[in-house]
Amino acid sequence: MAGRWMEFGKYGAAGAPGGEALGIAMEGMVRGISSPVDSERGRAARLNYLTRSDAGYEAMDRAGVHVSPRTLMAWLAEERSPNKANLARLDAAYWDLRRRNVAADLKARLNNDGRGTRVEINPVNQRGVEQKYRRDLAPRSINVRGVWDRAVDAWMDDDQDELDAVWDEVLDLIGSDYDGYSFVSSVGWSA
Amino acid sequence: MTDPVSVESLLEEARLAKAMPPPEERLRLREAAGLTRAQVATAVGVARGTVLAWENGTSTPTPPGRLKYLQLLEGLAELHPAPVDPADNPIAALFNDQPYGTAPAPAAAETPAVAVPAALTGLETLRGPDGRAIEGDPGPCVRCGVETTYQSTDGRPLHSGAMCQPTTTAPSPAAPAAVPPAPAPVPAAAPAAAVSPVPAPVPTRPLRRSKSAERAEADLMGLIRGAVEQEAERAGGDEDAALEALIGRAIPDVMHLFNETRATARYEYTAYPALPDILHKPSKREPDQIWEARPAYNNPAYSMRAAQKDVKVTALDVNAAYLSALKVWLPIGKLEHTTGMDGVGPKRSGVHLITPAPWTHPHLPDPLGDRDTPGALWVTDATLRLLLRLSGPKWGLTEAPTVHESWTSGATENFLDALRKLLVAARSEAIEAGDKLLLEYVKAMYSKFVSTMGESVHNREMVRPDWMHLIHAQAFALHCGRAYKAHQAGLDVVALKHTDELHVTGGDWRQVFTEGRGVSELKIKTGDGKASGEYLVGKVGG
Repeated sequence: MAGRWMEFGKYGAAGAPGGEALGIAMEGMVRGISSPVDSERGRAARLNYLTRSDAGYEAMDRAGVHVSPRTLMAWLAEERSPNKANLARLDAAYWDLRRRNVAADLKARLNNDGRGTRVEINPVNQRGVEQKYRRDLAPRSINVRGVWDRAVDAWMDDDQDELDAVWDEVLDLIGSDYDGYSFVSSVGWSA
Repeated sequence: MTDPVSVESLLEEARLAKAMPPPEERLRLREAAGLTRAQVATAVGVARGTVLAWENGTSTPTPPGRLKYLQLLEGLAELHPAPVDPADNPIAALFNDQPYGTAPAPAAAETPAVAVPAALTGLETLRGPDGRAIEGDPGPCVRCGVETTYQSTDGRPLHSGAMCQPTTTAPSPAAPAAVPPAPAPVPAAAPAAAVSPVPAPVPTRPLRRSKSAERAEADLMGLIRGAVEQEAERAGGDEDAALEALIGRAIPDVMHLFNETRATARYEYTAYPALPDILHKPSKREPDQIWEARPAYNNPAYSMRAAQKDVKVTALDVNAAYLSALKVWLPIGKLEHTTGMDGVGPKRSGVHLITPAPWTHPHLPDPLGDRDTPGALWVTDATLRLLLRLSGPKWGLTEAPTVHESWTSGATENFLDALRKLLVAARSEAIEAGDKLLLEYVKAMYSKFVSTMGESVHNREMVRPDWMHLIHAQAFALHCGRAYKAHQAGLDVVALKHTDELHVTGGDWRQVFTEGRGVSELKIKTGDGKASGEYLVGKVGG
């Protein structure tokens, strides 16, 4: 990671690594079933989504939903309902699959036909920092392009190192101030 | 129209539509006959504003009123033929290539002798299966010469519907002098100033680099009008379709206008700040923790169910409440946490956790709205300012609230003011011209701007739920202010509801408020509800 915040937060600054903020902002773009999994509607919708394709069965496999076809049919027919642990796994499997399915869409929206997306970067919160240790940081807005495929892949695989590497490329665009933005309070964009 | 449409009437309508005069001629004919718009509207069976729109070219006559209107125009054209001497009325002379012809006699409409090239008579707009006009390669319109992307059915460029604005610079090749001059007893036809063929000289003085506020506003007004014209043309005269299209594009359009008004602005605002938890919606259905203090007040001294109803109440309606509320102290940057009164100041804004003092005036609405649970609550700065005002020496209605903690930032009151002024100007223009499309478009722009500036999938250009709450709360605070003003002037407040309803009794409200449709004026609420217009209630209790 770039930057010379040797010990971040030593003087009271608050924020998150840029890569993490990037992941949170991408997470915010994912929409899906809004009913919670413990509601009848939410459960049925998730089960439908997961049993519609082979990818759904693979996602359930990855999330640790190992049940017999008989049980699955009973869940779908609402004759039986999953126990609490399996409900949590179903939810995890749903969001895992959902992320994979929207990734292509996210890439297209963020790449914007090669034009990229303008990203607003809000610097760390320095309210708790003594005046003499404060950095002179302002919100920045820069157009980022060419890195979104890597960013979305890294976010989908929860690869924090790769997200940090992507953030380093974003920092390159900022110029000489770059190390002030290795930690941020939030990033956002309209895509 | 309930009677079955016969082939003959359709043919008649088509024949008349072919010879439909342009908007200027429609206006001239009506004025020449000394008729009012209201008379015409009643006879044709449409609203007065619709006739106005037909006469100024905002829209073209559409069924069900079209046939009657065209019949009326044809009759009037017989009585008041168009002046054809170009020296007498040069503007009207330019229209002579229009299919309506000069129409000195009704036969001329059927067989246009000189004025209309035969190729231009039967032109119809090319439409897709959904009835919308189809666009193609741009080219000069065969009727008016102005470039258009719309086409006629035979593939030549032609403005959709009758939206052609005849050019004033290029007179038609059809010689107006060839038509025998007819006696034209038109009182309004004063000799117009001679139009110089030489274009106005280009000013040699270099233009100022920065635009003045008026010019910037005029440019943006052009954008708004252009959007309405574009959609009206694309819909080809179908007002509902045009309105739907305009409402659909309201959010991107208003964001564009907002960014344009910010072009030379002093402050850079934060569109995606890190938000405190109190401003996050826990789920899509549940609200966040901010109390916007929406008024829902009914005076307990009056009741509609009383045995003897003898008190006359007037229901008043506020115009464009959220538009006025765009003038509010808005935090520019990221919200920062403070405790105690540290976050309260004239140049700061945000949200505050307060414990309000009890409200002891049952005959006046509580500034905190219809609240059931006691104790501390999160309110916006707009509500806090109202509470502090009411606790001041001028009003003395309540004690100041205790502020426990705040999330605030440096603020400005003028942040959305340029946008507000622009939309107010567009709104009053729409009301003056009776332009329903423009009015509804402006309404959709400001209301959707406010309702989607928080966490909304319909507007990702900014995520400022704090602003949304502040604007809502400001609208409610302004509304409460009206109730207190009415009470101070001696009226009794019977009810205060939503953002725009104020019911008063016990005096002449016109002494207190101005009646009208402007943003600072009130009008009598119309509607079919029990509590609209003027209605009766009874006194209950002591």
